[in-house]
Amino acid sequence: MKLSKIGLSLVTGAALLAASVQPAFAGEQKTKPILGIPKSALDDFGGAAGVHAWVESLFYYIMLDNRISHIFREFGNVERQIALNTQLEQMVLGGAVEYQGASMSAAHADLGITMTQFNAVVEAAYNACERNNVPYKTCNHLIAALAPFTRVIVTR
Amino acid sequence: MNGSQGSKLRLWSCAAIFGAAAAMHSGLASAGYNDGKVFLTGGVFTVDGAGGGGAVPWATITGYETRDGINGGIGYTYANLPALQLNVFGGAIGFYDRFELSYATHKLSLNLSNLDTVALVAEALGGLDLGTDPWNSTLQMDVYGAKLRLFGDAVYTSDSWIPQVAIGGLYKENKTGDLVRTLGASKDKDWEAYLAATKVFFPLSTLVNFTVRYTSANQIGLTGFGECSADGCTNDKEFRFEASVAHLLSKNTAIGFEYQQHGDNLDGKSVSLAGLPLEGLTGLLGNLLPGVEDALTQEKESDWMDVFFAYAPNKNLSFVIAYLMLGNISVAQDQNGFYMSMHATF
Repeated sequence: MKLSKIGLSLVTGAALLAASVQPAFAGEQKTKPILGIPKSALDDFGGAAGVHAWVESLFYYIMLDNRISHIFREFGNVERQIALNTQLEQMVLGGAVEYQGASMSAAHADLGITMTQFNAVVEAAYNACERNNVPYKTCNHLIAALAPFTRVIVTR
Repeated sequence: MNGSQGSKLRLWSCAAIFGAAAAMHSGLASAGYNDGKVFLTGGVFTVDGAGGGGAVPWATITGYETRDGINGGIGYTYANLPALQLNVFGGAIGFYDRFELSYATHKLSLNLSNLDTVALVAEALGGLDLGTDPWNSTLQMDVYGAKLRLFGDAVYTSDSWIPQVAIGGLYKENKTGDLVRTLGASKDKDWEAYLAATKVFFPLSTLVNFTVRYTSANQIGLTGFGECSADGCTNDKEFRFEASVAHLLSKNTAIGFEYQQHGDNLDGKSVSLAGLPLEGLTGLLGNLLPGVEDALTQEKESDWMDVFFAYAPNKNLSFVIAYLMLGNISVAQDQNGFYMSMHATF
């Protein structure tokens, strides 16, 4: 009886340990584009301040787009999303920044995002680059770094 | 088919395309109309009607639809080369970013003095029907196409080398069989199949496409398929290689290069008169018109190359301007010239 209890707690402990090293439970991981992300990518974007300004523009354009604004109004606190996205974008561009949000798959699992809606956000991303005078080539490094998330974000 | 019937038919086919486009714009709005694709990622209007570059079909599905709906458009292309002018009009519809149907109709006007000579001689000899009138030879062709996306995503899989891959088929119906046979081809109607692989490399802002086409076409079918000689006719298909590279300067502007391998069916062939090779006649003509024998021997068919500039001011319209290097076409050499194409999507 006692022995089996110890056994059970060991199993639970092992499971918890396994969970703690599972990346899915620890936010999001940096993507691995085949052609890499240049070391200068984050600086080219204007560093942390540049990325933050870009994310603010991104949400400005998202909230202006009738195809997608309702999703963000309904499911997220925009201020919080701007803060988290600023972390995420810096991380995928190679910045030493901890992303404190949920994984992309967990964050979008129940939203039923379509490819059309995803592409609308990508269009907003390019508009934000233009608005912030981020060169098209620099912008494409961020797109390359975020593109692999398509698989888990688009669920419909 | 006489000329007025032909043009009436073309008018009807044009009307049908406009009708289909209008229906797509309004009627299909409820049945899955979609324009959610990112700029230029559906390709533009190829001379085969399929979505792609200028001459090379890509693995991308035409139109601005995503997998959530239907989209399509119409296109017009004009190419001006020293010895010929090509007009192509057509349309294509993409279904759910998975399947594509296309149509294109070609009108190629030739101003080849050496071919005119043949026509004049034929008339003088008593009205042999060669399908070419003196000073007015026009080749016409209709192209029907379908394309199926097999796997892969050309745009968003930036962490994988796997491209988007599609297979396609084209049925080409040359309406000027007599002229095509005068130029030594075996058939005026035939099919082609192709396999295309396309991938966007975001860090390079560049789209790369490779296509392999299984065909026996001479000048994409404008001068028929296969060849005939004294030993008889053959129409053996072979695999030919094509490539497009498009570098995006901005999200709606691209520059690039294309290459399309061509065959050698008609290389060195004399223009034939009503199925008879012209050698005997050119000998005779040679006495009257020195040099005519050489002038009536077709050059080695060159591979096609072009450099292009594409601009899409918005999702409903794109323009392509290109410089074509098509080399030898039939009896004409050094056919380099300009190309302009417009593609309207709905």
